Amino acid sequence: MLGLSLALFGAALAAALAGIGSAIGIGVAGGAAAGVMTEDPNKFGSCLILQALPGTQGIYGLLIAFFVLNKLGLLGGAGAVALNWNQGLQILASCLPIAVVGWYSAIWQGKTSAASIQMISKKPEAMGKAIILPAMVETYAVLALLTSILMLMGVQVG
Amino acid sequence: MKDRQAVGNYVYTVSRLRGMENHLLDSAFFSRLMDSSGIDDAVKALGETSYSQWISAAGNANNFDKAIDSEILATCEELKSFVPDSELLDIFRLPYDFHNVKVLLKGLFKVRGGETEGRRYDLISKLGTIDTEELTNAIETEEYGFLPYGLTDLIPQCWQLWDQTKNAQAVELLIDHQMFKAMLKVAEELNMPDVIQWVRNKIDAENLRGAIRLARMKYDSAKALPFFHEGGNIRPDDIAKLLNEPVETWSRVLSYTDIGAVLTALQEQGDIKASLTDVSKALDEYLLKVLEKAKYSMDAPANVLLYLLTKEAEARNMRVALVCVAGGLDREFGRRLLSNGR
Repeated sequence: MLGLSLALFGAALAAALAGIGSAIGIGVAGGAAAGVMTEDPNKFGSCLILQALPGTQGIYGLLIAFFVLNKLGLLGGAGAVALNWNQGLQILASCLPIAVVGWYSAIWQGKTSAASIQMISKKPEAMGKAIILPAMVETYAVLALLTSILMLMGVQVG
Repeated sequence: MKDRQAVGNYVYTVSRLRGMENHLLDSAFFSRLMDSSGIDDAVKALGETSYSQWISAAGNANNFDKAIDSEILATCEELKSFVPDSELLDIFRLPYDFHNVKVLLKGLFKVRGGETEGRRYDLISKLGTIDTEELTNAIETEEYGFLPYGLTDLIPQCWQLWDQTKNAQAVELLIDHQMFKAMLKVAEELNMPDVIQWVRNKIDAENLRGAIRLARMKYDSAKALPFFHEGGNIRPDDIAKLLNEPVETWSRVLSYTDIGAVLTALQEQGDIKASLTDVSKALDEYLLKVLEKAKYSMDAPANVLLYLLTKEAEARNMRVALVCVAGGLDREFGRRLLSNGR
């Protein structure tokens, strides 16, 4: 039972930490978007795209949580597979990259998005550049997602 | 001490200011305004700016001073509605309180001296933080108990000094000392390093302006110390010592400070009277530059002060342009007085 608990704890961390990071990041970018739109409501479209960018980490965390639940046989009603504590710890460790990187990168991506929103408030023609800057932060969230997926695929259960 | 590092504390504020900055008037607009043939033409040019509503409200195009003050006051009120720390606005508005105290006291000095036309209520600015009627009542009824920024103790001291010396300039200096002390106190309570540094630089700038004026009058450096305010980056002693040196060398003497470079205008122009205008303008621009690094931060509170100072520079330019146009003054001289607000 300890193995299953450790694995579920990992899935919970991946979904929760990445989700918290995304919520903070979107909140920061949303504050910036609201400030800019108070003066110029026509910038809603551009602001919305930039505000949505830090939301991806939460989705990555959820994806890993689903991956783990699927691996444990908890989806589809077939019943949980038997795990020893060592396998459970391996799954928990596999969840950590997206949990930690997702948490931090979403917050920093939110700050970069906020700065980009301020940029398009003065230079609307620079929308392309404004998207690229926060998208650079996304790279590391994607790398963490890949790491978590590869690690999970390497864990033998059942 | 409040926690000012919380994520997102000033993000909304700074973003809204970025949007508001788009409505600031640029140098090309002021250049066009200067080319107006008369005040009616200039008012027409102002039609699409936020100043037009105040000029209409003032009823008379020549009453533009009131309209410009109304625009700044409206800006302060708007900022007050969304800036998390209203003390930031107080730092900007506090000098107007002290200006009002000077106007009221000088008026009363004249009245007590027997002049019937002493009071000049028209010179009182509504931009201060203290309600003008309350301030007037407090000073006229000598009930200073509720006044902030150390005015409770300052005003009786002013009266004492006036009774002893009958020197309005000495009273003004005493008020200015307290004003800078109060500004620094508010900034230190806010615990925002950029804002504290700006106040210190403002004190330096004011001290240097004072030093240039004293140098023009060939004032003795031994007696100059009381003219300088405490709290700047440069000690008042060091500024007083400048008076022993030729003004052309001041920039070199102060080369260890950032503000020293602003004094190069003194070095380039032999005529100290002409260069005072240029140095004064350069000092104003330097004070904006001190805050300009906040422009690169998405949530630096100093952006609030930067916006207000830029707006104030815009209002100053507006005043210069409209005075030139209304009075038919030399436009080239007017253009020289315009500062690079935006």
